Amino acid sequence: MLGNGLRVIVHRDTSTPMAAVNVLYDVGARDEDPSRTGFAHLFEHLMFEGSVNIPDFDTQLQDAGGENNAFTTNDITNYYDTLPAQNLETAFWLESDRMLGLAFSEQKLEVQKNVVVEEFRQSYLNQPYGDVWMLLRPLTYQVHPYMWPTIGKDISHIREASLADVKHFFRKFYHPANAILSVSGNVDPDQVFRMAEKWFGDIPAGAFSERNLPEEPEQNIQRRLRVEREVPFDQIYLAFHTCKRSDSAFYATDLLSDVLSNGSSSRLVQRLVKEKRMLSEVNAYITGSIDKGLFVVSGKLHEETSMEVAEQAFFNELNLLINEPVGERELQKIKNKAEAAHIFSESNVMAKAMNLAYYELLGNADLLNQQPAFYFEQNAEHLQQTARSLFSPERASILEYHSAKTQSSA
Amino acid sequence: MVNRKQQPPTRLITHLPFISPQKGLLGNGVPVFLVEGGTEDIVRVELLLLAGSYHQHKPLVTYSAANLLKAGTAGKTSHEISEMLDFYGAYLQVDAQKDIVSVSVYVLRKYLEPVLALVQEIVSAPSYPQGELDILLKNQKHQHIINSRKVAYLARLHFSEQLFGPYHPYGYRIRKNDFDKISRHDLLSFHKQWIHPGNLNIIASGKLPGNITSMLEKFFGNSNWARPAQQPPEPVYLAATSENKKLLIHKNEALQSAIRMGKRTINRSHPDHQRLMIANALLGGFFGSRLMKNIRQDKGFTYGINSAVVSLVRDGYFFVGTQVGAEVCQAAIDQIYQEIIDLRTKPASPEELTTLKNYLSGSFLRSFDGPFAQADRFKELLVFGITPEYFDNFLVELKNTTPESVMDTAGQYLHEDSLIEVVAGKR
Repeated sequence: MLGNGLRVIVHRDTSTPMAAVNVLYDVGARDEDPSRTGFAHLFEHLMFEGSVNIPDFDTQLQDAGGENNAFTTNDITNYYDTLPAQNLETAFWLESDRMLGLAFSEQKLEVQKNVVVEEFRQSYLNQPYGDVWMLLRPLTYQVHPYMWPTIGKDISHIREASLADVKHFFRKFYHPANAILSVSGNVDPDQVFRMAEKWFGDIPAGAFSERNLPEEPEQNIQRRLRVEREVPFDQIYLAFHTCKRSDSAFYATDLLSDVLSNGSSSRLVQRLVKEKRMLSEVNAYITGSIDKGLFVVSGKLHEETSMEVAEQAFFNELNLLINEPVGERELQKIKNKAEAAHIFSESNVMAKAMNLAYYELLGNADLLNQQPAFYFEQNAEHLQQTARSLFSPERASILEYHSAKTQSSA
Repeated sequence: MVNRKQQPPTRLITHLPFISPQKGLLGNGVPVFLVEGGTEDIVRVELLLLAGSYHQHKPLVTYSAANLLKAGTAGKTSHEISEMLDFYGAYLQVDAQKDIVSVSVYVLRKYLEPVLALVQEIVSAPSYPQGELDILLKNQKHQHIINSRKVAYLARLHFSEQLFGPYHPYGYRIRKNDFDKISRHDLLSFHKQWIHPGNLNIIASGKLPGNITSMLEKFFGNSNWARPAQQPPEPVYLAATSENKKLLIHKNEALQSAIRMGKRTINRSHPDHQRLMIANALLGGFFGSRLMKNIRQDKGFTYGINSAVVSLVRDGYFFVGTQVGAEVCQAAIDQIYQEIIDLRTKPASPEELTTLKNYLSGSFLRSFDGPFAQADRFKELLVFGITPEYFDNFLVELKNTTPESVMDTAGQYLHEDSLIEVVAGKR
């Protein structure tokens, strides 16, 4: 850790000619003002529009043979660069300068607001079923800021963003103590630490602000939202609140979603898509967020399947998880899948750097290596207990997404 | 104090990062390529068949025949096969393209042998059960109907049709009722004619076990997987680009319009191909390209825009693709034309050319990073029947690129007069 609070992690892999640099900022859509949503993500765009000493981030990185991107979630904003290892220092130069300060301008803000509005349209509004998460989030979260998606509640929030908002946001969240720098690839750890000190060491520490988010209260009454849209087929979503990412029940929760839909031999695929042929596609997954997350089961309905039948079929499967322990071989299967997924993700320098930073944020970068063990120590009883605590009908939020066409032609 | 105004010194790559795979032949003549490397105990084995939808007699046959390999054999049901793959944590990736069918399995090295035995069984003797075919077609039809509400999907399908003609397998536009016309007999016949050892290449990559060669020999070298006595002759189609240069697929409710513009051009087998790839990169091949700078970063018309030169084995094409606000559709099209004109008339500045060269050399290095990436790049050579010098040439070509060579190449291959335009949405 540097004197100003920046945490630095290095992993050396001499089998690659590349290096990856990841900078994670501990700020996401959950940290936004409810009347200024979509801001963390808009801000991510502005991070590429030049910093105090460097007019153009992308061009300079390209000049070093590098490539970069970034993403914003409800929890974090993450920036990453890959480049030939011998040019590593350019990434330090660039990333440190934009942590130091941005070259704010009205004109750049206006253009990026337009770009984000087009992203909003492309990903959410101009796509069939594109607004599902804009509906599901406020249905499931009534007080916690997970109630809005990272793109924002509404396009107007993006259009109204001002330069003053931008500057305030930067001061509050973009400083060393709120960030984690991780580097992986063909690098010398000592040299990386020296470079970190050289480029990031003199960035002022900044004031750390305590996060104080309202906790989502336990849900005891079933919620249901029916919408009708111009889409060809009905879809259904069942969502249940889960534990926090740091809770030990996280692993059993994740494995339960694997039992249901990870792989073509999984329960929902075999029974509802293959045997009963009631759904064309089915999915069960967790959001895996840092604060209390969601367990979501969703399906695309065939024309002859009714919402009631699909919903009942989902509840039957969830009840089975509550009433019967998962068999030994089935449990071994999903653990093997989890192990393979972990090992495959380790083979990529970028994923490695990203994972190290994320687990450091969760408490300790070593947690990354312990993940397979956490999955392996789960047994059928853990899964059954977890299923009991998750899947009661009164804790369900149900989104019925009806096709307007089907209804009018019926 | 560090000097923050000055970029730290950088060095370009000077040597080729590609190591030619170790080549062998199985007893039955199937070529095998081994790409050794990586840090984790993982392996990928790819069965690459040099036949694709170009060779099918009906739409969707190649897709279905490839995707239903895992749907059953004489001895195993679809469920048993997926149980086994999932139990070993193996991931089967099936890719049915226009010129190839590829079946890749990603697996932990410790489970390679039983998984390869299973892959051999499903690829060599699929039973294509009717019930599994019905499910696949019904679900894919469902997906096609949903996709047909997406402007990007519509633009892509119509663009190919405009480019190659409605009767060419590269141009054929899939229809809803195509999903109702396929029988398991079509799949069995496609499998017999095209999915056999005579069309097969095997590429194994990752941390390979010491006995990989004998393992591949055991499963694929002398199996009961027969070649047909005679493979049907290669079909011949003539591509015919539409006379009508502009097509609008009108969607009244569209907030955004998808634009696709382009033309047929040379493919990877042509000596000028790399020169064209470099010129295209400047136009729309990366984030710092002229199209991206103009249409996204300057005008804010779009979330993204790109252009590419696509190599098919029997043809090739160039395209520009984007989704823009419906209200700025015509303005965006005008700007795209302007950039294409500028590419052959306005020389790149020294800075612009330096950035392009540096970026492309880094991106080239990145594309060889790790055994799976190396295997993927090698596959390009194999499919197009070209030699590894192709990669050496790229670095030479890049070094020799000048503002004039970019303009000449653009003038020769990307002239704006010959472009077709497809818009899905509103203009």
